[in-house]
Amino acid sequence: MRELALNVMDVAQNSISAGASLITLTVEEDLAADRLTITLEDNGCGMTEEQVRSVIDPFYTTRTTRKVGLGVPLFKMEAEMTGGSFSIRSQKGKGTVLSAVFVPSHVDMIPLGDISGTVRLLVTCNPTLDFVFRRTRDGREFTMDTRELRQILGEDVPLNDPEVSEWIAGYLEEQTALLKEEM
Amino acid sequence: MTIRELADGLRAEILVEGDLTREAETGYVGDLLSWVMARLPEGAAWMTVMGNLNAVAVCSLKDGACIILTENAALDEDARRRAGMEDIPVLRVEDGAYRTALRVAALLGETA
Repeated sequence: MRELALNVMDVAQNSISAGASLITLTVEEDLAADRLTITLEDNGCGMTEEQVRSVIDPFYTTRTTRKVGLGVPLFKMEAEMTGGSFSIRSQKGKGTVLSAVFVPSHVDMIPLGDISGTVRLLVTCNPTLDFVFRRTRDGREFTMDTRELRQILGEDVPLNDPEVSEWIAGYLEEQTALLKEEM
Repeated sequence: MTIRELADGLRAEILVEGDLTREAETGYVGDLLSWVMARLPEGAAWMTVMGNLNAVAVCSLKDGACIILTENAALDEDARRRAGMEDIPVLRVEDGAYRTALRVAALLGETA
């Protein structure tokens, strides 16, 4: 993808299709080690060992409309093209953890892109699901947890309310800026 | 023009036979698979350096006519096998994408 953020969006759809009620996205930047790690964890229906093996095969898909599924294979390839790695762990009935490690200095590194936009869109388009977004950068970090937002907002205000969506966008932008601020 | 005629015209190496009788409608050049996935025209001869399983999947998904590996790019073994199963011809040429595209366009009678 042109942006890893778009790929995260694509892969997160698998978690949603797997019936997850909680999806945790972690983006960890370690500048000194030259590593960017993206982890997506869900409590969806999980996969058997055989399904885990086949999910990295682009010719495997759970969709019936087409015979090719490229979300996970491309994500894996993009990580490996930078000299990074990819792993997927899953347990039937428990959920799935997918992790991609990138080497940002590599010439084939695809930019992370608008990851905050991805998070905002995931929350807004799936107001009944919960998301945790944690982003770290060289020891600094912030977290946004929709379960906490729900507590503050109460039951009457849905997470796809335009004002809430605006607030999420502003919060993520502000927190990301703080993360990147010079020490 | 069929893929076999195109391969002859390009003096390309045929790595996977596939359906060589299929017509090449046009050409397309690209290496960023997610990009190509959104844009490869149906029936196009696709010029790329990506000789992996994902590239075969993209070609299959978009119903491309063949893959032309440029600059003698390598074809992975699993990609070779899968292209055979999918009946997708894979050709290989020495020229880069730019020169190959010029030659494909000339063979197909396409102009800018």
